[in-house]
Amino acid sequence: MEAKLKKIDNWRWEIPKTGNMRVPGLIFSSPELLDQGKNDQSVIQVANVATLPGIVRHSLAMPDIHWGYGFPIGGVAAFDMEEGIVSPGGVGYDINCGVRLLTTSLPAREIRPRIKEIVSALFMNIPTGVGSRGKIKLSKSEEKRVAAEGAYWAIKNGLGVEEDLETTEDNGVMRGADPEAVSDRAYKRGHDEIGTLGSGNHFLEIQYVDEIYDQKIASAFNLFEGQLTVMIHTGSRGFGHQICDDFLKEMSSHVQDAGFILPDRQLACAYIKSETGKKYLSAMACAANYAWVNRQVIMHWTRETFESVLGISPRDLKMELLYDVCHNIAKIESHMVDGKKTKVCVHRKGATRSLPPNHPDVPQKYREAGQPVIIPGDMGTYSYVLTGSKKAMDETFGSTCHGAGRVLSRRQAVKLAKGRAIAREMEDRGIFVQSRGRNTLKEEIPEAYKDVSLVVEAVHMAGLAKKVARMRPIGVIKG
Amino acid sequence: MSLEYQIIDHTADLGIVVKAHSLENLFINSAKVMIDLIIQGDVKGKTEVREIVIEGKDFPDLMVRWLGEILYLFYGENLIGSSIKIKSLSWSRIKACVEFVEFVPEYYEILREIKAVTYHRISVEKIGDIWETMVVFDV
Repeated sequence: MEAKLKKIDNWRWEIPKTGNMRVPGLIFSSPELLDQGKNDQSVIQVANVATLPGIVRHSLAMPDIHWGYGFPIGGVAAFDMEEGIVSPGGVGYDINCGVRLLTTSLPAREIRPRIKEIVSALFMNIPTGVGSRGKIKLSKSEEKRVAAEGAYWAIKNGLGVEEDLETTEDNGVMRGADPEAVSDRAYKRGHDEIGTLGSGNHFLEIQYVDEIYDQKIASAFNLFEGQLTVMIHTGSRGFGHQICDDFLKEMSSHVQDAGFILPDRQLACAYIKSETGKKYLSAMACAANYAWVNRQVIMHWTRETFESVLGISPRDLKMELLYDVCHNIAKIESHMVDGKKTKVCVHRKGATRSLPPNHPDVPQKYREAGQPVIIPGDMGTYSYVLTGSKKAMDETFGSTCHGAGRVLSRRQAVKLAKGRAIAREMEDRGIFVQSRGRNTLKEEIPEAYKDVSLVVEAVHMAGLAKKVARMRPIGVIKG
Repeated sequence: MSLEYQIIDHTADLGIVVKAHSLENLFINSAKVMIDLIIQGDVKGKTEVREIVIEGKDFPDLMVRWLGEILYLFYGENLIGSSIKIKSLSWSRIKACVEFVEFVPEYYEILREIKAVTYHRISVEKIGDIWETMVVFDV
């Protein structure tokens, strides 16, 4: 399929409806960012998604769009509940991959001299890397409780405090989870992976706030310049991967029976109202809950590690969860479609929810400020906190970008990093890094990603979220 | 036996193209390449033989399901497929005897995580006398 872009304004490009597309595509970006992705297949993937049954308004893409499998990464698509489909590939294998940000009462300068000690202790306490096994081993019945109860399970077991739930998207529990919809294989893979970071682009990062863009909202989010923060990026591990795999195979078997003509087999899907569609959403919710428990447990151990290394009481450290967002998910949400409030199934694959001030799903404490949007960058530059906007509700089903977005393949990155000591380079930039895999740091070099500041500027200027604060890393652990 | 394959660039993920003189070897070699991409080291330990039967709706579907099975056994049951014999193979079904050894992380260098075998751009075709498959992994 050919996909040509038509400029609408400085921040929006349309892919006009052609061929089997049911709706046009709409990409939010800047000329510079679009140029960076010109050699990949992501624009064609936006057009491919536009061919799926029941798609509403547009097949959307955020400025961090890059070539994925089936759906592009950075893609957003909403589907009609009656005529529309749900696609596991539109969520991704790492269901509820997401990010959480913790704030502290400490200025980062106070802990900087001990950064190596802290990073090493975190690296010891939080299992990282391929096949990492957690310290928590669950029986199948307990795993089913994790799948049903989400982050509440962790709180009930002493792995956090009640307040953590208030500042987690959906309070850390996705409704509609049915543990019986999950395969034995997924339970087998998930029984010892709670509290593990995984590998690839997942990380735990110690940062400081280096710039505030909106003082009023930053204060509402309890952010101040120089403040020590911690960011955690991981998802549902093998449990989620297996659920996606199981349902892709099941749906793939029935594509022809359902009469779907798919431009990419990875777009295998089922009608939302079909038994398979409903079962997938129930199983996907279990994986979403698993991921919230995973990030909650890692956060708990992070708190314990800081308290132990620094010898500071939880009361003095005040390590509080600012917010937790998921960026790989399908959600049934109400949006205005053709002037009517309508329920749709919004797929966000590498995209973050962006709710405006006064939206009922924004935690009470942030109701006037809007939903915090947490955007991680690469390990060598910045991460951002933004706040949700009404324009996102109007134009992107309440969605914005999710990160920097890759621009180099892992092989290209390793080639570019050949002969370089990446950990040393990072240290020279004031960032102490520890990682498990041989090639992880090379694959994750800053040059492998788009400039996150350009991505954030694009969503800010397009009105899909508003900049609040920027953080710089000082310590990183990776798988 | 050296494996004939090449890695193809994919921005977010990892693709491979594997070639073989027979369809059976294409399925065997693709599984071996996938394991080679995850771990490095001499496979050692007590062996266990399992019969694996996979069904699909065409060769590409069969390839995704076959590799997915080997991948599941690695992550879900800690088993590394070390030796594979294909008993029968048609467009819709593969039956194989696979010798596995237990995966002991300390014995190997871990290179990367392959989360899943995707259907994206999947192909299995015969070009001249050579069978060729392209597979994209989610990493």
